[in-house]
Amino acid sequence: MLNIRTQLMDLSRRRSLPGRNGFASTRVPQVLCALLLAYAAAPAAVHAAMGAAVVLPALTQPASGEHHVGKVVWADLVTPDVDGAKRFYGGLFGWTFRGVPGEQNYALALLDGEPVAGMVRKASPTGQSMQPAWLTFLAVRDVAAAQQVAVQHGGKVLSQEHYYPHRGRQAVLADTDGAVFAVLAAEGGDPPDYLASPGEWIWSSVLVKDPKQETDFYKSLLGYDVYDLASEGGGEGDAQHFILSSDNYARAGLNSLPADSMRRRPHWLNFVRVTDAAASAKKAVALGGRVLVEPRLDRHGGSLAVLADPSGAPFGVMEWSDTDTKQEPQ
Amino acid sequence: MKRIPRILTGAAVGVLALMSLPGCVAEGYGGGGDVGYVGYVGGVYEPGGYEYGRWGSGYRVGPPRGGVRGSGGRPAPSIPRGPRGGSGHRSGNGH
Repeated sequence: MLNIRTQLMDLSRRRSLPGRNGFASTRVPQVLCALLLAYAAAPAAVHAAMGAAVVLPALTQPASGEHHVGKVVWADLVTPDVDGAKRFYGGLFGWTFRGVPGEQNYALALLDGEPVAGMVRKASPTGQSMQPAWLTFLAVRDVAAAQQVAVQHGGKVLSQEHYYPHRGRQAVLADTDGAVFAVLAAEGGDPPDYLASPGEWIWSSVLVKDPKQETDFYKSLLGYDVYDLASEGGGEGDAQHFILSSDNYARAGLNSLPADSMRRRPHWLNFVRVTDAAASAKKAVALGGRVLVEPRLDRHGGSLAVLADPSGAPFGVMEWSDTDTKQEPQ
Repeated sequence: MKRIPRILTGAAVGVLALMSLPGCVAEGYGGGGDVGYVGYVGGVYEPGGYEYGRWGSGYRVGPPRGGVRGSGGRPAPSIPRGPRGGSGHRSGNGH
């Protein structure tokens, strides 16, 4: 006790005599040492204090070093009910979930233990009826440059460039029709190209009012090679279908919204690979979801369907098999 | 030995100081301290009550199998077909 009292008195004397012992020669090294010790002893606290609290996993582990501009590399569900979404998508695709350091409102969805999607909890604005949605992330090399090009070509920046350790830089944009998407410059590179397994994202489409104008926008932004597939009619007027490609792979489809699209907003729609679209649709309904477009044979020869999760977020399921004997519908 | 408590005291002060830096306090996902995407008004959320619409019999959204020719006569590419390679962990999307 006496010893502690003596130390306190000694400390008090030192503070009252700032010139004593010379601050530069004695106190500074001590403080620096203390700070270094603090940094080593409490990395999480220091990490948080430096403004880098949200730690999202890298897209590729280990880093791929590959870059595939225009490739759909990630998807985040923005919903007010993350717990409900976990039950639904976990039941439908076998996804499991875990949190991320520093953010209680974000959950990672995993397939076989590896990240496959994100879920962001966001409350609906008071007094407004809004619909949750999946946010599609497209690979870019330079987010700032992408923002600039998007604006130059009639798009909008909805959320400015932001850096997440390990994940990289990302921003949320809208195309000229208002379809919302994100661009991501992944820190460790983009995922390699491979055929998605069941339960993984396999395809994306952007449905817009003016496909021709939008092809110009996305071509300028991401350097896509654009293929205009024969218009086959949407049943209610011609429906255009473009394929946006890079690295000689189809990255996404670009479709005109069906003819009665005045009430619908342009949007990106992502498809998860399944082995049986009809069975997935049935299961989705049993889990509280809805079927927006019944299972139907599509261009690739397999079935696809558009579903909505219990909160209303639309997404697709699509069959794909290299041994599929089904013919492309005429 | 006298230096150890002093260093520990300094360490504690250092931790508290760093954690209390108001300009450096971590923000939520999207930044700005809000939940979700801050400054992102009317973006991800779409107006409620809209119908998804009817897709006619000829309405196609899927990828081509490969070899499907576009209007310019060029065969449109398909999605990646190869298996996942290497020993690296999967993450992100392969398509």
